[in-house]
Amino acid sequence: MAVNSSAAEPQQARSSNVLQGFLMRIIVLTIVIAAFMRFGNVNIGAIGQGLGYALAGVTVFLTFRVLGFVDLTVDGAFPIGGAVCAVLIFGGVRAEIAILAAFVAGSLTGLATALIDIVFKIEGLLASIIVITGAYTVTLHIMGGKSNVPLLGKETLISRHSKDFRNWLVEQFGDQMRRQSTNLLEIMIFGLIVIAVLLVLYWFLRTEIGLAIRATGKNDQMVRATGLNHHMMIIIGLMVANGLAAMAGSMVVQQFGFADVSLGFGLIIRGLAAVIIGEVLLRPRTIGQLLIAAAAGMLVFDISRAWIFSALDLPTTDIQLVSALVVLAALGAPRLYDQWRSYQQRRN
Amino acid sequence: MLQLDNVSVTFNAGTPNEVKALQNLSLFVEDGEFVTVIGSNGAGKSTLFNVISGAVQADSGRIELDGEDITFSPEYQRSHDIGRVFQDPRLGTCPGLTIRENLSLAAIHGRSAGFRRDVKKAEEASFFEQLERQRLGLEHRLDADVALLSGGQRQAITLVMATLTKPKLLLLDEHTAALDPNAAEQVISLTQELAEANDLSVVMITHSMQQACDLGDRVIMMNQGKIEFEISGQERANLTPADLIERFHSLGSGAELSDRQLLA
Repeated sequence: MAVNSSAAEPQQARSSNVLQGFLMRIIVLTIVIAAFMRFGNVNIGAIGQGLGYALAGVTVFLTFRVLGFVDLTVDGAFPIGGAVCAVLIFGGVRAEIAILAAFVAGSLTGLATALIDIVFKIEGLLASIIVITGAYTVTLHIMGGKSNVPLLGKETLISRHSKDFRNWLVEQFGDQMRRQSTNLLEIMIFGLIVIAVLLVLYWFLRTEIGLAIRATGKNDQMVRATGLNHHMMIIIGLMVANGLAAMAGSMVVQQFGFADVSLGFGLIIRGLAAVIIGEVLLRPRTIGQLLIAAAAGMLVFDISRAWIFSALDLPTTDIQLVSALVVLAALGAPRLYDQWRSYQQRRN
Repeated sequence: MLQLDNVSVTFNAGTPNEVKALQNLSLFVEDGEFVTVIGSNGAGKSTLFNVISGAVQADSGRIELDGEDITFSPEYQRSHDIGRVFQDPRLGTCPGLTIRENLSLAAIHGRSAGFRRDVKKAEEASFFEQLERQRLGLEHRLDADVALLSGGQRQAITLVMATLTKPKLLLLDEHTAALDPNAAEQVISLTQELAEANDLSVVMITHSMQQACDLGDRVIMMNQGKIEFEISGQERANLTPADLIERFHSLGSGAELSDRQLLA
């Protein structure tokens, strides 16, 4: 487009500024977190854990932010994914296939919520509570009526390579690395999975279906007026989102070495916190940046929580209360700041 | 082209709040015809549009578009053939998406969305040309968020979106009512241009007697869910807003004109 060139330049310059600012904030955040972990004595295991849960943060981003759908299904999809994965691995199925199966199980959970919303016209909040309640029993049944399935001695993505990796690490860097080898392996494997999933999502959200899903969350009237079935977009969106939550569940199960029926408890709140932490700290603008911010927000959440634990020397029984307080801080601080700002403005 | 036979819509049927929004209404719009619709608040103009577009289902009667019975087809399917512009400029476009993305979404119109890339290089030239024709300078801001545009600009983009894939019928629901006079004039001339260029059948609800006299081939006056009178042919050509207001008042009770309608 020759005609366009004069005006296109400032636009491109602006978008590259946006990108530069975002990259700067990522770098600064990384340095701050690294310093935090180094001097706050936080084990790098927190990163692996954050990566395991990161996709659940992306789930909440997709439902709340992209689809504009208040969906709590993640609390049910996550343990279902964990259960499916654990049972399959326990039965000797390869871990990769178990993860994909978990994704499918999670999508079906999302489908249930979407259909309840569309068919019965029950709003998302209630629809998803109904699904979570039922999902608890489904999870128990998947795990053969037990509330816990251990994976001790089974081949997970982590345990498959852990011995080789440990030997290699000790050989290269000496014996002090032995203790961290599993944590490092988790970070590498989960990091790769999360990056791969984010890339696929980045592609997906920029397809026609992805565009229609994004539009549905902002203005479903307009989506209908352009001849697209917005119900279909809600179904696809919730299926993908909750498939990801189940995938996170399957990753965390392999990390912990067991599946538990109560694994998803309060996850929705963590996901929300992750999305908001990501937005506040990284101020993402484009779809790609928003996706990265949601995943990064989960990392920051887990690391902050781990830091509080080590700083205050708390027992693990306090974990939910600490989670709740971190979430409260993440949700409350931006609002308190806004209130304080408008108060200052009124005084001047 | 568009044919409504004895269409009725009743809201809250059987309750004290029962409203007969449309009562056995029949309407025929010819190919390429431009019809304006006037009427007081609650006359059933918007319900008429909603029942044509499928946002509201008819309780009885039959709706046909281009020979095809669409009485029971869902809203999104009818949208393949019907373009719509709403009164509220925020309804027609999607904030948070760029102008380009909004237009791309409209360009999917009539097919189902697939895994093709959302914004396509091949469409850019046609978007540029369409926007350039509006003389609003928006063709240089394809990557601007729609939320940053004024009501008039958003309405202009909605018009382009609604006509991008040449629908059979264009429904305009007081689409200039929320705009300032300048923007309204621009949007109206754009409406005329697009309707003529694409040879569209247009039904336009308007609050402005002046618009009803200036635009289109036929005026329909609605009252209490019915078509009260139609003016076409020679009588329509000589019609002035004063005539319309007089005819309006001769209807007696129920036909109240708001100040807005008298002044516009």
